[in-house]
Amino acid sequence: MLAAMKNRKSILELGIHFDHIRQKTWTVLNPMKPADGSIINETDLTGPILFCIALEATLLLAGKVQFGYVYGMSAIGCLVIHALLNLMSSSGVSYGCVASVLGYCLLPMVILSGCAMFFSLQGTFGTVSSLVIIGWCSLSASKIFIAALHMEGQQLLVAYPCALLYGLFALLTIF
Amino acid sequence: MPGLASKRRIPVSQPGMADPHQLFDDTSSTQSRGYGAQRAPGGLGYPAASATPQAAFLADPVSNMAMAYGSSLAAQGKELVDKNIDRFIPVTKLKYYFAVDTMYVGRKLGLLFFPYLHQDWEVQYQQDTPVAPRFDVNAPDLYIPAMAFITYVLVAGLALGTQDRFSPDLLGLQASSALAWLTLEVVAILLSLYLVTVNTDLTTIDLVAFLGYKYVGMIGGVLMGLLFGKIGYYLVLGWCCVAIFVFMIRTLRLKILAEAAAEGVPVRGARNQLRMYLTMAVAAAQPLLMYWLTFHLVR
Repeated sequence: MLAAMKNRKSILELGIHFDHIRQKTWTVLNPMKPADGSIINETDLTGPILFCIALEATLLLAGKVQFGYVYGMSAIGCLVIHALLNLMSSSGVSYGCVASVLGYCLLPMVILSGCAMFFSLQGTFGTVSSLVIIGWCSLSASKIFIAALHMEGQQLLVAYPCALLYGLFALLTIF
Repeated sequence: MPGLASKRRIPVSQPGMADPHQLFDDTSSTQSRGYGAQRAPGGLGYPAASATPQAAFLADPVSNMAMAYGSSLAAQGKELVDKNIDRFIPVTKLKYYFAVDTMYVGRKLGLLFFPYLHQDWEVQYQQDTPVAPRFDVNAPDLYIPAMAFITYVLVAGLALGTQDRFSPDLLGLQASSALAWLTLEVVAILLSLYLVTVNTDLTTIDLVAFLGYKYVGMIGGVLMGLLFGKIGYYLVLGWCCVAIFVFMIRTLRLKILAEAAAEGVPVRGARNQLRMYLTMAVAAAQPLLMYWLTFHLVR
């Protein structure tokens, strides 16, 4: 009992707040709900790393061993979006924040690659569902960025590069 | 993650040791809720936590010193980058070109595909500085060229993939060759502007923006080529070539030619003739480059 309490305390010491992770995950999973800007400002990479590992696990189970590409693409994509957001918004944004948000919005992609385990995505249904998932991911990501950085009238402009990045991930999942 | 590793060690408390707080500059409690921007060492994957529970693992002096050194090094590095990045990349000037919104992008894309009905091509000024692209559709921006360039590289990868010629280094080759052509164009135009001694307010970044607009037409052409074959490619590319030719002439005319000529009054003189030829040459180079950079992608 004491050991369990100590473990819980040590996890909190690391800065992992489970309720924040849950809140952010629900924000991603529900693209229609407006995002709360304050929770986004924490640079929390626990969720994203978990989702990345889940994505790689599902890719592995589907028979594709492409870990290097996942890491490389995500790093370059994060850099480009970080530069773009710094130039487009009036307040700056840190790299960790960008990586965190993009990682959280990778969750629907994990669902897509989970489906890829059971049936091939190369038909019409696969193309349509991956387009829907890409749209979902990029809309969530842009919604969170807009809320956190107070940008107006730029949601589609932020969503487009995110869509390109998630499109690359989808290509990795399909082919 | 060094934090986790040292947590597993049994913390050795040493009598007579100074308070660990003095060796570790504790910024976490004040800034762990704030913007990530100030937390240089805490940025990537090192979640901030208050210092008191860390006292146990910070009791080890070596890890103390390592952390202090590491955090000071990271802070120094960040300062260095921030100081020097302004020397190489004029960030404040660039921000003007990215002050766009969705309406502007929509209207500008429409203008790039159909510039024939637009009447007023002058950029509005506000107390000597040009107005931000958000407020005037004639102002140049860098969002569209940058996104168009990235999309072009990705679409080129897609096109090569459908021809079974795809490999990641080929993608890099495509990207660098397009970038090289862009640089060549910018240098050639700047050189000719210098030789013709034109006094314009056409900055280098403006020029890069204008020259980047042709990638939009190229993307359209290649996508149509992928969907409908060579006929679709030639049709759409032809349309976009004419459109970008007209767009460039009308935009550059206001920048390069003298004011009288820009209003349509034909002014005699070798100088204005030369400027007219220069404008036409720049505008004519666009369709040529558009064809050159895309024909090998559509079979």
